[in-house]
Amino acid sequence: MSAPATTQAPKSGRVLPPPVMGQEVVLIAVIAALWILLTIFTPAFLSAGSIQQLLWRLAPIGIMAVGMTMIIVTAGIDISVAAILMVCSVVMAKLIAEGGWGFWTAVPVAILIGGLLGSFNGVLIAYGRVPAMIITFGTANIFQYIGLKVFNSQTVNGLPASRDVLGPGAGGRTFGVSHAFMIMLVLVVLAGFYLRHFPGGRHFYAIGGNSGAAALAGVNVRRRIFITYVITGLLVGLAASVTIAGGTSTLDQNVGKGQELATIAAVVIGGTSVLGGRGSVLGAVLGALLVQTVSTGVTQLGWPSQLSNLFVGIFIIIAVGADLIREHRRRSHA
Amino acid sequence: MSARIAPTTKPPTPSTSAEAGDGQQGFGSRLVQTLLTNRVALLVILLVVVVALLMGLDQAGYLSAAYSPDYMSAALINLVPLAMLALAEMVVIISGGGGIDLSLGSIVSLVGMGFGFMYGIWGWPLALSIVLAVVAGALLGAVNGVLIARFGFPPLIATLATYYGYWSLALVSNNQKPISSPPIQDLYGLSKAVEIPLIGQQLPLLPKGIVIFLLPTVVIVGLLLAKMTYGRRLYAIGTNDVAGAWSGVDVVRTRAMSYVISGAIAGLVAVVNVSQFASARPDAGTSGNGMALPAITIAVLGGVAVTGGAGRTSGVVLATLLVVWLNAGILLAFSGNTGSQVELLALGLILVGSALLNTFTARKYSGAR
Amino acid sequence: MSEALDERAATGTPRLFLKDVSKRFGGVQAIRHADFCLMPGEVHALVGENGAGKSTLIKIIAGAESSDTGSMELDGEQVTVRGAIDAIDLGIATVYQETQLFGQLTVAENIFLGREIRKGPRIDWVGQNALVVDLLNRIGLPPEYATRHVEDLSAAEAQQVAIAKALAGDAKILILDEPSAILTDVEIGVLYAAIRRLTKSGVSIIYITHRLDELFEIADVVTVMRDGRTLGTYEIGGLDVRRVAEMMVGGEFALAQSTRTAESVGKPQLVLNGFGSRGAFRDVELTVHQGEAVVLYGLVGSGVADIASAIYGMRPITSGSMMLAGQEVHPRSARQAQRLGLAMLPANRKKEGLFSFQPISFNISIGHLRLLSKGGIWMNKRHETDVSTEMIKTLSIKTPGAQVAVSNLSGGNAQKVVLARQLVERPAMLVLAEPTQGVDISAKEEIHKIIEDLCEHGTAVLVATSDLTEAMRIGDRMVVIRNGTTFTEFARGASQSDVLAAASGQLSREEEETLAESGPT
Repeated sequence: MSAPATTQAPKSGRVLPPPVMGQEVVLIAVIAALWILLTIFTPAFLSAGSIQQLLWRLAPIGIMAVGMTMIIVTAGIDISVAAILMVCSVVMAKLIAEGGWGFWTAVPVAILIGGLLGSFNGVLIAYGRVPAMIITFGTANIFQYIGLKVFNSQTVNGLPASRDVLGPGAGGRTFGVSHAFMIMLVLVVLAGFYLRHFPGGRHFYAIGGNSGAAALAGVNVRRRIFITYVITGLLVGLAASVTIAGGTSTLDQNVGKGQELATIAAVVIGGTSVLGGRGSVLGAVLGALLVQTVSTGVTQLGWPSQLSNLFVGIFIIIAVGADLIREHRRRSHA
Repeated sequence: MSARIAPTTKPPTPSTSAEAGDGQQGFGSRLVQTLLTNRVALLVILLVVVVALLMGLDQAGYLSAAYSPDYMSAALINLVPLAMLALAEMVVIISGGGGIDLSLGSIVSLVGMGFGFMYGIWGWPLALSIVLAVVAGALLGAVNGVLIARFGFPPLIATLATYYGYWSLALVSNNQKPISSPPIQDLYGLSKAVEIPLIGQQLPLLPKGIVIFLLPTVVIVGLLLAKMTYGRRLYAIGTNDVAGAWSGVDVVRTRAMSYVISGAIAGLVAVVNVSQFASARPDAGTSGNGMALPAITIAVLGGVAVTGGAGRTSGVVLATLLVVWLNAGILLAFSGNTGSQVELLALGLILVGSALLNTFTARKYSGAR
Repeated sequence: MSEALDERAATGTPRLFLKDVSKRFGGVQAIRHADFCLMPGEVHALVGENGAGKSTLIKIIAGAESSDTGSMELDGEQVTVRGAIDAIDLGIATVYQETQLFGQLTVAENIFLGREIRKGPRIDWVGQNALVVDLLNRIGLPPEYATRHVEDLSAAEAQQVAIAKALAGDAKILILDEPSAILTDVEIGVLYAAIRRLTKSGVSIIYITHRLDELFEIADVVTVMRDGRTLGTYEIGGLDVRRVAEMMVGGEFALAQSTRTAESVGKPQLVLNGFGSRGAFRDVELTVHQGEAVVLYGLVGSGVADIASAIYGMRPITSGSMMLAGQEVHPRSARQAQRLGLAMLPANRKKEGLFSFQPISFNISIGHLRLLSKGGIWMNKRHETDVSTEMIKTLSIKTPGAQVAVSNLSGGNAQKVVLARQLVERPAMLVLAEPTQGVDISAKEEIHKIIEDLCEHGTAVLVATSDLTEAMRIGDRMVVIRNGTTFTEFARGASQSDVLAAASGQLSREEEETLAESGPT
């Protein structure tokens, strides 16, 4: 019944499932709807200043969410990213403000340190075989200690203007688009491509879906899991360089507080399943965009800013609930 | 096997636990095995070691103030909320299915604000306000319970969402302002240290909160887990919830209940917190790293298995004691900010260390692999 | 007639030749002096009762186990298979019953996971797809399936993908472990067509099955195993189901007869009418009386265990009715079933029965919290200990004490613990699913004695099993389940090979009628 074998690819020319999943389409629709609503109620929302701020604030979370997506796809988790962000930020700040380093020479240091801390996590989780959640709870504290030690006092002052190139201000934009945002976009595209078209990327999904079968198929499960934590660490280091570019010329010890939960929230809202095996970086970025939209919108509407957290909580429930329903339908079909 | 039924020889008796070894073990390795598998024993020894170490440092003059029984007793004021929350986490983690409660800190904040309104502004009677605080915590926990047990949300996600939700409600409730009206400020008396009646003359002062809040909680949770049928059901579903269903246990109800219990305890901790600070603050449970993380750390140190089905009240209480006295000593050994920083480090190392220990001993000594 | 293996080998170079293979696990000799000769391009069936040694032999060939003695030759060359990956490299591919597929990935990705076709560092989707389409062709799946997610496929289609995956590595030998267990008749036809295509291209197939009728549809030769030995390899042409069954059970034994005689059986305790659960079984008719031990016998996959689960409320009942002690009931959970007076020993003790690191007393008392407590709230530890000690004694559970964790017990003793849980209060009706699976001989004896004892005291007992000798031993009546519905019934004393043939074979029309007449109901 089948056509002569060899070269006939299916007619539609499709060799892969479509790159955009259902959840992402829904997210785009929701974000679009929110933007429309917000613009109606607060025209200031759609102003250049407001949108540019939003996109800039999106960058660090988006960059971290790329790494976090890979981790969660392999059924892991990393609660320590906020602490890693803090360490990388303070080290970079010290180098620039007190050590006189140039901005762009300090960035690789931040990235490297992030990678180092990430590999600490990776070793414990991949080779120690301890639940990721617990381990990263612990390393979060350890890294925070390290960060506070580097701070040595309350704040780092006198951050120079050289960092503006990644900042939210005019120096951080070209043709009106934030540099940080562009960097994030590039990373998202690269990561997305890797996850979709490279064996290593596909193996992450295999590990999250059925790590035993993956091992049997010859995948080096432990090494792949280790790599997800290292990549995330590197990305957090990059995110740190964006973070210190914002705000005043003073960096305080609260930098990064709560960002781990915000990152996980973004990834989860974007359709990545905590149980592993399913998800995309596009979804994670959309999730981050949704969270950022809510936050900006709440401010613009003059509501108490804490309400944005309430909405984040609600969106998490809705997104995961939708995932659960889909899973339920799948089970009763097959 | 063969159709012949009558056995010819008895099959060899099966060896008991895989690698733990039998009678031929030396005393040394049996001691190690006991220490590794009996968490309570290990904690008692660690406690003695730590206290002895700190007292030694005190004698040698390295501490900025005396690590005296009085000081240790005063430090116990921290034991109350910490131990209670650790017990709450224990109940939830034992229930299995990836059980964890990230929302405890924001339940403390939200119920704290509610209590502040009830007792501090609307003038309701104290006892009633406390009871309602516990009930409120139970209801907030029930939301988690329903999402997790009935609808199948992963506990990490569900409690993450409620963490966000309750946090923002707490902040919004009084426009981010704490409540410190006179009745609230007078509550400080609830937490003060007092002399133990009858025998207390030679002994240091004991914070009242231990007797009023902690003791009842420890007794209730301890009895619940060790002596009541609910405890059996909880351990059962944490060990194997499929077998639990086959044995007739109502898995959904039992698991949901564990989140109700932890919420109720958090509600009581809210009252403790308000009395300790003489103020109902909207960020009570969410400032710093939040309250859930230390509670989880202590539960894991106390021997609670992250995968469920195992954990004892005595272990958790001892673990809290160890951490509280260790932290108290750290504050004396390191001056200024360094003290609280080292506390952080200690907490992190303890969590990583005890998690590794739990996994190692489970694999080596339980014979389950 | 059995062909001496050397005669076979002389007809050409065997694809695979195992000589004098033995394997021992702890105290059990799984296979002894087994020989196996597989020729290129043949479909070679492997049959034998549970425990005859089939799976061990297969595991040795597939590299999952190593043999203690004996040698293996592949296309005339001596080989040692050191592990699963080794076997795959040698061209030996296995498709087990538990599929090792990834639901969230596409068919194409599943097939090539770990050895993706690349263009530089990237995956070459087009090139890979072409190969996938080719493989799908050989299996009989349409090319569009290449991009479908495996979780969207039916169980049969997923199995075909598993076969395609096994073939992707240029396999010369394909081992199929009970492939038809989960397939409908139509799907089986598709499987057979795929097998024929494969053998035409020279692949040798080792086909393990319990369904003897399959032998005559697909196999060229069959090797019968019994007690760890290979009895011989036979051309299918000269055999029929009855003969194969007889070889499997070793003729008609005088079984150690149970001491039970025709006794007075009480009123019907359980009556099933048109009982069905969608996807598992349908139209089951069954009656179990008080004091009677009825066996539900069927091959693995025939629906026997599912019927037991449905009776206990752990599988949805979608049609028909269930009456317990004269009342119509519809339990929807184990709790409800328990309240109706049912007790059940689940089929899979590790997954469904045991709380592994909890003590024996915990495992026994968990089913009776109301009884062993005051007011259903406060545990009565003294009572619990008494009950546990008594149960340990009554069931002869070998343990130093009631506080030992059940993970430390042998299979037989652990099974007795789960059984003890059901017997704390003598149930009106006890259902047992695969009660002696993975249990040593003496514990098996003891469990059977317990069942007899229960019947003598009036309990209605239903045993759902795929173990033929067990069925013959304890069943006052044997209801044979085939293809998900009741097929026929035998009384105690029926011939073992008749029962096996009924469960697994296509009997001729006359044979069916004779059976129906001779078996009293």
